[in-house]
Amino acid sequence: MTTLAWFGLDAFYLGRRTIRRFYRVPANPVGIVLYPLIQLVVFSQLYKDIVQLPGFGGGSYLAYLAPGQIAFTAFFAVAWSGSALLSDYRIGYLDKLRIAPISRYAILAGELVPLFVECVVMAGIILILSVLLGAPIATGLLGGIGVALLGGAFGVAWAGTSFVPALVTKNEQATGTLAMLFFPVAFMSTAFVPAALMPEWLQVVNAWNPISHVIEAMRSLMTVGLEWDVLGRAVAAILLLGFVLHAVTLWAFRRLTA
Amino acid sequence: MNGEAMATVEVDELVKVYAGGTRAVDGVSFAVDEGEFFGFLGPNGAGKTTTIRILATLLRPTSGRARVAGLDVGADPGAIRARIGFAMQAVAIDPLATGRESLELAGRLHRVPGAELRQRVDELLELMALADVAGRYAGTYSGGMRRRLDLASALVHRPAVLFLDEPTEGLDPQSRSALWAELRRIREAGTTMFLTTHYMEEADELCDRIAIIDRGRIVVSGTPGELKRSVGADTVELRLVGESGDGVVHAQESVARRLEGFPPLTSLERTETGVRLALVEAGSAIPELFRRLDGDGVMIRGLSMSEPTLADVFLRYTGHEIRAEEADQPIELGWWG
Repeated sequence: MTTLAWFGLDAFYLGRRTIRRFYRVPANPVGIVLYPLIQLVVFSQLYKDIVQLPGFGGGSYLAYLAPGQIAFTAFFAVAWSGSALLSDYRIGYLDKLRIAPISRYAILAGELVPLFVECVVMAGIILILSVLLGAPIATGLLGGIGVALLGGAFGVAWAGTSFVPALVTKNEQATGTLAMLFFPVAFMSTAFVPAALMPEWLQVVNAWNPISHVIEAMRSLMTVGLEWDVLGRAVAAILLLGFVLHAVTLWAFRRLTA
Repeated sequence: MNGEAMATVEVDELVKVYAGGTRAVDGVSFAVDEGEFFGFLGPNGAGKTTTIRILATLLRPTSGRARVAGLDVGADPGAIRARIGFAMQAVAIDPLATGRESLELAGRLHRVPGAELRQRVDELLELMALADVAGRYAGTYSGGMRRRLDLASALVHRPAVLFLDEPTEGLDPQSRSALWAELRRIREAGTTMFLTTHYMEEADELCDRIAIIDRGRIVVSGTPGELKRSVGADTVELRLVGESGDGVVHAQESVARRLEGFPPLTSLERTETGVRLALVEAGSAIPELFRRLDGDGVMIRGLSMSEPTLADVFLRYTGHEIRAEEADQPIELGWWG
């Protein structure tokens, strides 16, 4: 077998452990779905009439809100994702993996790839619930899959905000310091109100907010149809975010396992 | 090769200096032959764990040479990893995986083919008395079971060399002797064993040969028997009653007279209830001791015997007591820790 095939196989076996570790604690999947669902149900009622403001362009607020909550779901799924690797490091399990005749990058892949699966499933659940609650899905089943995949890709990229502090500080409490960045960044995005309603300076910030681009692409797939330029911007934002964060992850992981 | 037994572990002038400047290992050389059970005996902080981590390819030496299974740790870590097992000081098990899953993962990562793996895992679960709990999460296991699972996961791929870092630390006496029996069995199957411990009894019980390490240096090495003999004599205490009721003093004089010129005796001391003898290899000297004391005037009410301890051996070779533990464990405080 080739080196690459072994790498894939090792990452698969390690990834299977990561997935089991996730769903064997029921609070993980339940907690991840619960909070976005509450926001979706409550906020869509509370701010029902906000869509009458110019800039929303009609429709229900639930339809406007759903894409942001799907992105939130991906965030919740990865918010503490770096802590598992940190815990493995602490108890010596990482050393045990390091003395196996495998590439150490298979260990990292075994952590990151399953996050994609987890995020796709969790985001998919919120998407389905949104549609059941009345959100449109203009591009049908394929578009829905696209929305879930965007959620998965965004989740893996954003996971860097947990992996970087976990691997750099090696401290459980410090692991959360960057993840909380999500809240200001998300509330400054177009998750709740369109850019047209933002003050001018925030509109400038928003143009560079990766979360906004992801949400806009999800919203476009759900309410408008296939808009390649919007989709392209989201993919570019995810790639850029993922590249920057995981370049640091990789550096910190190399340092940790040197 | 060349008609000589090939050393499975060869260490030559190994030095490890940590980033903070600590010389954890300071010029250590030794060799472990194939099939041998070799032990590193020393206090915490002596350099045992650092050495074993270098040999297991987890740490890079600062200088010197280390070869395992004929391969250099610096040049060929991947090939060494395929040939070794390592049971670390802290038991590292995944609490949310079952015992069977843990062993299967270890086997997969060590490239044990599927059909063989199932058989091997069953065999190890049976051997380690974990078959009944194989389907339960390892997080539910007792301390002894965790140790055995950890050891089993180091054995799935039938390593040529097994490294054991303080393998019975924190175990109750019963689990400890059960684990010792297990280690002896593994060794009998032909595995070369390298163990670190700070328990003299453990090294004595298991090892063919031990090296005493202190402050990063090997101070002496040899078989456990040689080391203890080199310290000197065992202590034998006799509690006496005088036969004719004359009291202990009479009996003490009797003993002293009868043991005059007894070769293993190196000293005799009177105690309140009898005598304290220093005997070389007391175990084999006691029958002759009794023959000499048999007869009028001496009645032995009790006997206790103690061998030299790690403390004795250690003191003899390092010139100091095993020093107190140091608060030198790393702690991570975060971004600016």
